[in-house]
Amino acid sequence: MPARPRFDAELRAGLAVIGGIFPPTVTADLVPFMRRSYASLPIEQILAGRSITVTDATIPGYRGDPIGVSVLRPTSAAGPRPGVLYLHSGGLMFGDRYSGVDLVLDWIAQFGAVLVTVEYRLAPEFGDPYPREDCYAALSWMASRAADLGIRPDRMIAAGGSSGGGLAAGLALAARDRGGPTLIGQVLDYPMLDDRGRTPSTDQFDGVGVWDRVSNETGWAALLGEARGGPDVSAYAAPARATDLGGLPPAYIDVGAAEIFRDEAIAYAGGIWAAGGDADLHVWAGAFHGCDIFAPHTAVAREMIRTRDAWVERLLAD
Amino acid sequence: MQELLGRLTALDPDASAALRVIACFDELIVGHVNTRGLLGAAAALAGCTAGFRQSRPARLVRITPRGMPATDHWDPPDLPDRDFSVWLERVGPSQANDAIITERLEFAVRIRHSAGRRDLDSRRDLAVTLDPAAELDDRRACAARIGLTPGRTYRVLAAPLFATWHEHPKATEDVVTTSFGPIHALVVPQGAPPPDARPCGVGTTAVVDDLHRSFRSALVALRLCDSAAPVVRADDYGALIGLLADSPDSANSPDVDLLDGVMAHAWGMVTLDALLRAGSVRQAARSCGVHHSTMTARVGTIADVIGFDPLDGLGRTRLGLAFLMWRLRHSTVLELPVHAARRAAGGG
Repeated sequence: MPARPRFDAELRAGLAVIGGIFPPTVTADLVPFMRRSYASLPIEQILAGRSITVTDATIPGYRGDPIGVSVLRPTSAAGPRPGVLYLHSGGLMFGDRYSGVDLVLDWIAQFGAVLVTVEYRLAPEFGDPYPREDCYAALSWMASRAADLGIRPDRMIAAGGSSGGGLAAGLALAARDRGGPTLIGQVLDYPMLDDRGRTPSTDQFDGVGVWDRVSNETGWAALLGEARGGPDVSAYAAPARATDLGGLPPAYIDVGAAEIFRDEAIAYAGGIWAAGGDADLHVWAGAFHGCDIFAPHTAVAREMIRTRDAWVERLLAD
Repeated sequence: MQELLGRLTALDPDASAALRVIACFDELIVGHVNTRGLLGAAAALAGCTAGFRQSRPARLVRITPRGMPATDHWDPPDLPDRDFSVWLERVGPSQANDAIITERLEFAVRIRHSAGRRDLDSRRDLAVTLDPAAELDDRRACAARIGLTPGRTYRVLAAPLFATWHEHPKATEDVVTTSFGPIHALVVPQGAPPPDARPCGVGTTAVVDDLHRSFRSALVALRLCDSAAPVVRADDYGALIGLLADSPDSANSPDVDLLDGVMAHAWGMVTLDALLRAGSVRQAARSCGVHHSTMTARVGTIADVIGFDPLDGLGRTRLGLAFLMWRLRHSTVLELPVHAARRAAGGG
């Protein structure tokens, strides 16, 4: 067993419960289980007690196929508001548009943002490029319908955790290269960026925590099939492969020191800086993957959420 | 995490959320988490604010399920002749795990505030009963409190918290903190049927005074479990169990280190296992389903790697012991809680 950073004590305690819902090692045969265990609560329950209004819409996704989005706005919103495109977590294979959304509700309620969350199609049924192009289609829809949606097209960001973070990064690359809608920021929480699985942190976490090396192989294999780890994977699918990280919107990148994505997140921030861009990188000691989703009550997760929210507030709030 | 507890119960009603609550607080105690952290965990588990009040010095702390100080109003309970009090601010009927969460919270707060004073060591009775370092009188008193009878013979079973139980035996049980993490320990009568659980280590027989030995042997047996042998009986290893229990995984043992070279071969594990169980190379070849000459070649390779003849009298013993120590060193039985998930996935 390789040496590895310890999980924070409060988070270790959390794992005693979380392990039953989200096993450390997700193999392909566990995907049906994960789709049930990681399904979000009914949105009414998530929003209980908050002044947030939800509208559902069906929009053309990749190849024009219909996909669902939900628009969450402050009930009292007036005039054009900042826009957030939210891409959910779930290893590219599970989760839904409301997974982890409770962590970004303050952006709506406190910073006055309008949030669009996307029911992108999931692997392995829908491999690359379906998930990301569904997200891209949602971004295009958001920009072209900005006036109707009450969104300021000059103040939009993309945000996501884990697979959603990887999709947000790929989306930002695609928007840059295609001359698509302008993003003023990308929030990449413990993003899933690299299909090659070559980093030291990838090898440090086997069978422990949340989302270990094997789980990651499962996720990338679902998205890319045989191409995973080979020479023919596009940078839009696996942003760690991008050779040009210039001209991207400012990035907020956070990651746990005790998770497999640590090194690829650090490398991505390094690549952005090397290309002359802006990145805020936060590596949280003792944090396992997605600890803010599973154990938001802990000191590490609270600090992680507070720091991220402060960055988003700088960008979005009037 | 209350939502997680609820999901857990919905996904797998046998998963015993209470055991996970116990394991959760055991980690908080071992990790020296402070009062705010303890209250935050209790609140997150319960889904409502958790509170703490002490008289000297006067202090009141109330933490929400999000880990934030509560700002709403709540009348804290009085403190008649008590150092402190903890509570859950449940509105409406109490829920299944409220009692265990409150009990564990109080226990954890007591430890956190005790500054290591021995008289406040209020570990639960089974943990003391199974602790060889505890005084015999204490162990006997604790055993009596949990209904274990002097003179009767028992076995201790050891399982990870995520073990899958097809039938849960009638037993005196608890979660006990060990150097391998929290372990579900169960004391059953000597003649109890074998546990229908995976993975599970079955300890040697023992009377109350010696239950700690049975527990130690059960831990070794548990760590020898794998998918092929989900239940391991310490009895099957006789005196070796004590030897194995006494040698830490980090012990300097060249024989064990050298086995890495054998295990690097795809055939390493099955071949060593077959050689140690079989009476002859021919028999080992048969049980591995390979030709006799293949097995002979493998034996030659093994001898080259480890530097002694694995079939020579003493060599056989050295190999056997090194093999078991290697398996303990590389045991993953306590690290892969996927059984419950797999079962749930298969079931629905």
